[in-house]
Amino acid sequence: MTKSYALLAVVVAAALSVAAPALAADAVKIGILWPLTGNAGAAGLASKAAVEVAADIINNTHPEMGDLPLAKSAGLPNMGGAKLELTFVDHQGNPSLAQQLATRLITQDKVNVLMGAYQSSCSFTATAIAERYGVPMMVGDSAAGNITGRGFKWVFRATPIATDYARAYMRFIGDMKKQGKKIDSIAVVNENTDYGTSVAAEVVAEAKKANVSVAIQIPYSASSTDVSAQVLQLKEKNPDVVIFISYTADSILYMKTMKNLNYKPPMVIGDDSGFSDPSFIPAVKDVAQGVMNRSAWVIGKPGSVTYKINEMYKAKTGRDLDDTSARNMQGFFALADALNRAGSTDPEKIRVALTQTDLKPNVLMMGYNGVKFDNTGQNSLAATYLIQLHGDNYVLVWPEDHAEAKLQWPMTGTK
Amino acid sequence: MKAALARNPILLLTAAALLFYPVVFTDAFYRDIGVTFLLAAISASAWNIVGGYAGQVSVGHAMFFGIGAYAPLLVYTVTGWPPMAGIPVGVILGCALALAIGKPSFRLTGHYFSMATIAVAELIRIFFGTWAFVGAAIGLQGPAVGRGWWDLTFRSEVPYYYIFLAVLVVLLALTWTLERRRFGYYLRATKAGERAARSLGVPVRSTKMQALVLSATFTSIAGSLYSIKTGFIDPESGFGILVSVQMVIIAALGGAGTLFGPFIGALVLIPLQTATNTWFGGGGTGLTYILYGGIIVLIARYEPGGVLDLWTRLTSRGGRDHAS
Repeated sequence: MTKSYALLAVVVAAALSVAAPALAADAVKIGILWPLTGNAGAAGLASKAAVEVAADIINNTHPEMGDLPLAKSAGLPNMGGAKLELTFVDHQGNPSLAQQLATRLITQDKVNVLMGAYQSSCSFTATAIAERYGVPMMVGDSAAGNITGRGFKWVFRATPIATDYARAYMRFIGDMKKQGKKIDSIAVVNENTDYGTSVAAEVVAEAKKANVSVAIQIPYSASSTDVSAQVLQLKEKNPDVVIFISYTADSILYMKTMKNLNYKPPMVIGDDSGFSDPSFIPAVKDVAQGVMNRSAWVIGKPGSVTYKINEMYKAKTGRDLDDTSARNMQGFFALADALNRAGSTDPEKIRVALTQTDLKPNVLMMGYNGVKFDNTGQNSLAATYLIQLHGDNYVLVWPEDHAEAKLQWPMTGTK
Repeated sequence: MKAALARNPILLLTAAALLFYPVVFTDAFYRDIGVTFLLAAISASAWNIVGGYAGQVSVGHAMFFGIGAYAPLLVYTVTGWPPMAGIPVGVILGCALALAIGKPSFRLTGHYFSMATIAVAELIRIFFGTWAFVGAAIGLQGPAVGRGWWDLTFRSEVPYYYIFLAVLVVLLALTWTLERRRFGYYLRATKAGERAARSLGVPVRSTKMQALVLSATFTSIAGSLYSIKTGFIDPESGFGILVSVQMVIIAALGGAGTLFGPFIGALVLIPLQTATNTWFGGGGTGLTYILYGGIIVLIARYEPGGVLDLWTRLTSRGGRDHAS
């Protein structure tokens, strides 16, 4: 009798072990649109590596990642451990191609959700397709204000946008004034494509609200090879803070030209981008000492969750995570959290789960105040830090309660 | 044209294939490729009138495309009217621009026209990038959600397909008609040699001008169709140099200066573009461009007359073999 029970047990166990893979939930498909070639190809590839790391953290067990959502379990627990399956497409920065590829991901690859698309122009067209087909789309990093706010139901954006940056700068300037620093006027210098134009417009608007006088706004072309005219204009207006919204080569050029023309404002704030480029610090380390920069991403101390994430990313790419790819990674985590709460691949359930997202700062890898989408789909708790160049590295100096080092004012640089 | 259709079984088959394509391919992605193909065929065929037939190689046709693309969305943004209302505005502005450019540059011969078109297109692109009225660098958007059929914001690709197909048929029929009239001979005479043509009494300058205006009209319509379908336009996708270059490549690939050359060029290039991007685009290796470029180089090296030339040569050789 016992023998037959044992036999039965073996048979049942065998049957279960055969049946188990069949019972495992189907993968959840995420279609991701980024520029993987062309001008912005580097940003797209960095973001691709970042979400691949995030998918690894979610799909496998990573108890060392602390409170990060879905790190401890393998796959999505509410969906029977379903894994995330990523499909990447390259829209090459072409809005029409982004539209076509979004259609392909939805109708051919049958993805459950979409993510993308870096350039705001491509996010405009891809989100319209997501809305048309009723497929949730997470915008990880596109700054143009009206990507959300077109009355779309299916579009969510985790990243802070131009308004958030502009508000952060104004709050920072307000804090400095409270500390008794003299800030009578600021200047805004921006490259003249959509990025620089939209951020500059918000900075000027927020400055007006905050009663900060804008002495001058200087739009210029990022491909300029001589910016001495612009620097001379700044020198003449003599503002207390200069905010640069610049790409890489031009931000370096500005720093060098300012030194050559013997001009140093009390403070320079760079709006991420060029100031965060790996080539910025080696090129102008001396003249740019004390320059402020924006970043919601900080690697953190060894042993911290962010430090471990960065180690995983570094092992994969050989570089540190940057603000852009980290923001995409955070958007991906927020999306995965919603997918798990939805517990189903039904688009409407995922959409509802996204609207109910409420991530607290302790489960985030970024310096946001949380992730919670307002009724336009924009993360109303998005925020950003300000970092400052001290020696060879940027360190977190503002807001004060998160600061790693003491803020230096004015910037030192070498005159 | 009807007689030509009956005489030529290939033409008849192509017409049937075009007509039934969205019925056979019900997948939205394939239909979208169909629409992209038609748009490429329209703009390259429009370019062909002045660039192919008249031999005036414009490398700045994006200026007409962009003006046509901006007009509907600008009209919508300013007045709230359906974007369609902007199509004639785009055509009028495009023609005015054609006259403004043609007048001085057609006085000169050689590459001046090509150079002028590149310069003007780039100038407009930079200008639009800073002009707040047209959305500066951020561009313009159409209605986010269609308010009715007159907004032409369809969920399905099929209506776009047939609208685009109708425009292509009108354009090709018009080109076919002109080809057989005095104007067509003037065009070819101009291309063959301006001085000789002039000595024979061909009004070279006005012929070139008429060709440019006609070409600008249809390129502008192509731009309008593009922006209405995409629902978005910015300086790069309207006036970018690649927009111009694609028209030239497609026409040259298929056979510039022939009725169906641009059509065939688009037939080769658009599926090729899509396929290489679908197969190799996700890795970010740039393999798409390498393959795409490689095929263009091969065709340009071994068949500079375009695919149509190759086809004619192959079939005529076949014909001879058959006869002997």
